[in-house]
Amino acid sequence: MRRVLKDEYDVLVVGAGPGGSMASYYASKHGAKTLLVEKSQEIGEPVRCAEAVPKLEEFHITPSEEFVRSYIKGGYLIAPNGKRIEVRGGKTEGYVVERKIFDKYLAIRSAKVGTKIAVKSRVVDLYPCEDGFKVKVVHLGEEYTVKTKIVIAADGVESSVGEMAGLKCKKNPMEVCSCAEYEMTGVKLLDKHMMEFYFGDLSPKGYAWIFPKGDTANVGLGVIDRGKKAIEYLNEFLEHPILEGRLKDATPVEFKCGGVPVGGPIERTVDDNIMVVGDAAGQVSPLTGGGIYLAMSCGSIAGEVAAKAVKRGDYSMETLMEYERRWRERFYNTLITELKYKRILQRLGERELNIIAEVMEDNLEEIDVKEILFKVIKRAPSLLKYFKDVVA
Amino acid sequence: MRVNYERCGYCGACVGVCKDMALELIENRIVIYEERCRRCKGCIIVCPLKALEE
Repeated sequence: MRRVLKDEYDVLVVGAGPGGSMASYYASKHGAKTLLVEKSQEIGEPVRCAEAVPKLEEFHITPSEEFVRSYIKGGYLIAPNGKRIEVRGGKTEGYVVERKIFDKYLAIRSAKVGTKIAVKSRVVDLYPCEDGFKVKVVHLGEEYTVKTKIVIAADGVESSVGEMAGLKCKKNPMEVCSCAEYEMTGVKLLDKHMMEFYFGDLSPKGYAWIFPKGDTANVGLGVIDRGKKAIEYLNEFLEHPILEGRLKDATPVEFKCGGVPVGGPIERTVDDNIMVVGDAAGQVSPLTGGGIYLAMSCGSIAGEVAAKAVKRGDYSMETLMEYERRWRERFYNTLITELKYKRILQRLGERELNIIAEVMEDNLEEIDVKEILFKVIKRAPSLLKYFKDVVA
Repeated sequence: MRVNYERCGYCGACVGVCKDMALELIENRIVIYEERCRRCKGCIIVCPLKALEE
């Protein structure tokens, strides 16, 4: 490993989550000499999320038994009054995985196409040099200076690496969802292939969830609240009457917590010799808090663009802007629309949520927001004030 | 700012909102660089576990 840190690279990727492993995979695959650095001593640890991932076929990854714990067909949206709306198919399909194994699997996949990996290796600083960056990495208390042409910052919610390079990556505290979760065994699920989402005062400005995960289930929630903490809300949720005692015999096997940036993408994800990917770039669905699909997609683009830039011998912002153009073309509009919906959702009280649930069909293939809003306003015109930005 | 290490779940949420770069997560330990901290308290807000206190 020390040898790995004494070499020079075309591309240095910081963070071995799904975004970083996909970025390094495509950089290596297209011929760039690539190093992936992970500050933890184990890739995939600690888990900070509810472990739901999208269908993986699009990424040419076989959903292996090795890491898939449950196959997900859809979800139940549950209103404060207990009304359930079933959504199936399309984007709601996917898997709940064991992230510790999934993340390692993706890193190994990247290593197989030539990526070198350094673990327990923490980036502490970086500064520009002739045609790239000198990156200071601390491994086992010793400092190494690694030269690279391009840095891909995939350092997750911490978002420090892009910030060190002068990009504004740090998030506004009121746009970070504070999450806590127990992975429990003995949970009585509504359906072992369906995710459960609970809305209302039990989890202000966020939602609570139960995701099936093989023999266990992830039971957690995310909130934005200046006063009460996620852990306090979680402890109350475990005994909440809406669950009708379904956690009575459940017992935890793991505790997880984390912060999810739900305020939309950062303003600029590219500068000379650097690209920012995943949570660090705010590439997270503001509505669901899901980030793996976006991190993997945007990471793939960043890896490709990096390799192309290396071939061309040009690592300037203009060249790397291809990354920003491509990811924005695919996701920007959706992210902004979701942001708008999220802001409305966050303003609704339990009464309003119940009215919305009431007018919605019990079974849905897809959520057509405009159609739902039309019905809501017809049923309760006083709610129009919440939706005027969307309906107009 | 102080970290209650008994409560901390080392998730790094606090690091993500610290525009002063006064926080760092090193393995399972949050480190505070007091001289950089400007007491904005963003870290206290996002901590899921009430592990940060003034």
